[in-house]
Amino acid sequence: MTSESTFSIDITDDSLSPPLVARYSQVLLKSEGEKLLLILPTEQEMKLNLIPWSEVWQELKHHLQGKEQSWQAGSSVSLIARDQLLDARQLHKIAETLSEVELGLEWVYTSRRQTAVAAAAAGYSVEQQSSHPQSLVGVAEETKSLVLEEPLYLQNTIRSGVEVRHRGTIIVLGDVNPGGAAIAAGDIFVWGRLRGIAHAGAQGNRQCRIMALQMEPKQLRIADMVARAPKFLPDHVEPEVAYVTSEGIRLAKAMDFAKTHSYSKEVEGWKDSF
Amino acid sequence: MSRIIVVTSGKGGVGKTTVTSNLGAALARSGCTVALVDADFGLRNLDLLLGLEERVVYTALDVLAGECRLAQALVKDKRLKGLVLLPAAQNRSKESVQPEQMKKIVDALAKGYDYIIVDCPAGIEMGFRNAIAAAKEALIVTTPEVAAVRDADRVIGLLEAEGIDNINLIVNRLKPGMVQDNKMMSVEDVLELLGVSLIGVVPDDERVIVATNKGEPLVLYEDSSLPAIAFTNIARRLQGEKVPFLDFMAAHDNLLTRIRRMFGG
Ligand SMILES: Nc1ncnc2c1ncn2[C@@H]1O[C@H](COP(=O)(O)OP(=O)(O)OP(=O)(O)O)[C@@H](O)[C@H]1O
Ligand SMILES: [Mg+2]
Repeated sequence: MTSESTFSIDITDDSLSPPLVARYSQVLLKSEGEKLLLILPTEQEMKLNLIPWSEVWQELKHHLQGKEQSWQAGSSVSLIARDQLLDARQLHKIAETLSEVELGLEWVYTSRRQTAVAAAAAGYSVEQQSSHPQSLVGVAEETKSLVLEEPLYLQNTIRSGVEVRHRGTIIVLGDVNPGGAAIAAGDIFVWGRLRGIAHAGAQGNRQCRIMALQMEPKQLRIADMVARAPKFLPDHVEPEVAYVTSEGIRLAKAMDFAKTHSYSKEVEGWKDSF
Repeated sequence: MSRIIVVTSGKGGVGKTTVTSNLGAALARSGCTVALVDADFGLRNLDLLLGLEERVVYTALDVLAGECRLAQALVKDKRLKGLVLLPAAQNRSKESVQPEQMKKIVDALAKGYDYIIVDCPAGIEMGFRNAIAAAKEALIVTTPEVAAVRDADRVIGLLEAEGIDNINLIVNRLKPGMVQDNKMMSVEDVLELLGVSLIGVVPDDERVIVATNKGEPLVLYEDSSLPAIAFTNIARRLQGEKVPFLDFMAAHDNLLTRIRRMFGG
């Protein structure tokens, strides 16, 4: 029994190629020195991509849950609200959500007068963008660049109807359920069962891989390639890795992959080094 | 402290209203005070299942509009003392109520009753938002079908995002024979996917439909049936009692399959 025939996905449909992804997480949480920055999308970004607030909201919760151990309780957060119109209620909701993970909202940076007024009335330190500190502007702008973000670490299952997008690597400490999707510019690691959709290298990088303790995906996508799930599941499960070869997407035992495979720039795919 | 529980599913027709009426009756029979809230505006039918249709005078909307007091709108059950229903208006759309208004009503009820159980409409739109507004815990109802489980998964995600993480699962309409023939998801399959704790399994049974049509909660029938026991057990588990799960698969098992299992086949 060769590992290729046992683990390869039976159909690789080359006529199908997934759209490359340009849209990523709307919300960003970054640490800058002592401070944590919570960066919201601009109004225009939300309009362009038809993103409702509820989605931004769900993303924020994912980020907070995922990164919970990366700060000290009681740290203060600066909200980079950009040109978003936020009223007292929305500000309160953001502060409340932050306080659930023991963070305190302290500063609000905004370019909108109404938001500044609401934030000031609610007792936060406010700065309008004209007098925005250089470093903070820098961070907000940097998010537009092509450089990958640091990995997004999620400690919950991606359930049906949830799509997590990240301009970097995604690590899921849970399952990806049917109807759920993880879309990453980098690699995807699922420390659980992968049963939904995973798209690694979503900006076109064929070198990216998808690993899961249990691979039962509906569909795998790496860069511009798609593979559908095999009809029959192997009777024993073990961690597997999906990667691009010159013949399409293949699966192999995750355990040996690093030792047995290397990436070839000429064929734009991974090669078995034996 | 009273408990505010929403019964929800995502997919329609899986048994939310049936669960709500039977749980309400079982809890009230064991001595608790229970207020059932029909949050299915526009398609109310909790009153039908409880056989209380002809007693409905006011609805939650009348309370919100100031047409009557909350106490006036509550319909008392004809069989059980301690069980009341707050009906939904049938002639209005789900958009006519706001989550904050719903929360106000339910919080007011919580002052006078041990259990507030909210029967949620299908879907995840405004009606769902209203139904979960005040809830502290949730009972997810699903049938062992791929589409229903998928929707249940989605709803669990939404509830968690709202901070409701006391979530228990009811698998309704199980057909042991079909599970055995690998034609239906097993309870284990459903649990493994959803990752929440199980509080009850109710078999598919004609008597549930008969009781529905008569407007009498099945749990109140003289001669007990498997589904009635299952509903009663859910009520007991809700109250913290440890009740072993009925083993429908074993009841269905025949000698041959048991021998096969012994040999690991
Ligand atoms: N365990 C069961 N066995 C047989 N029939 C059942 C069972 N549970 C529910 N039913 C039937 O399924 C139908 C739908 O049930 P019910 O009205 O409780 O679902 P629902 O989830 O409230 O629906 P909706 O989403 O429309 O509000 C009813 O006719 C009911 O009698
Ligand atoms: Mg119903």
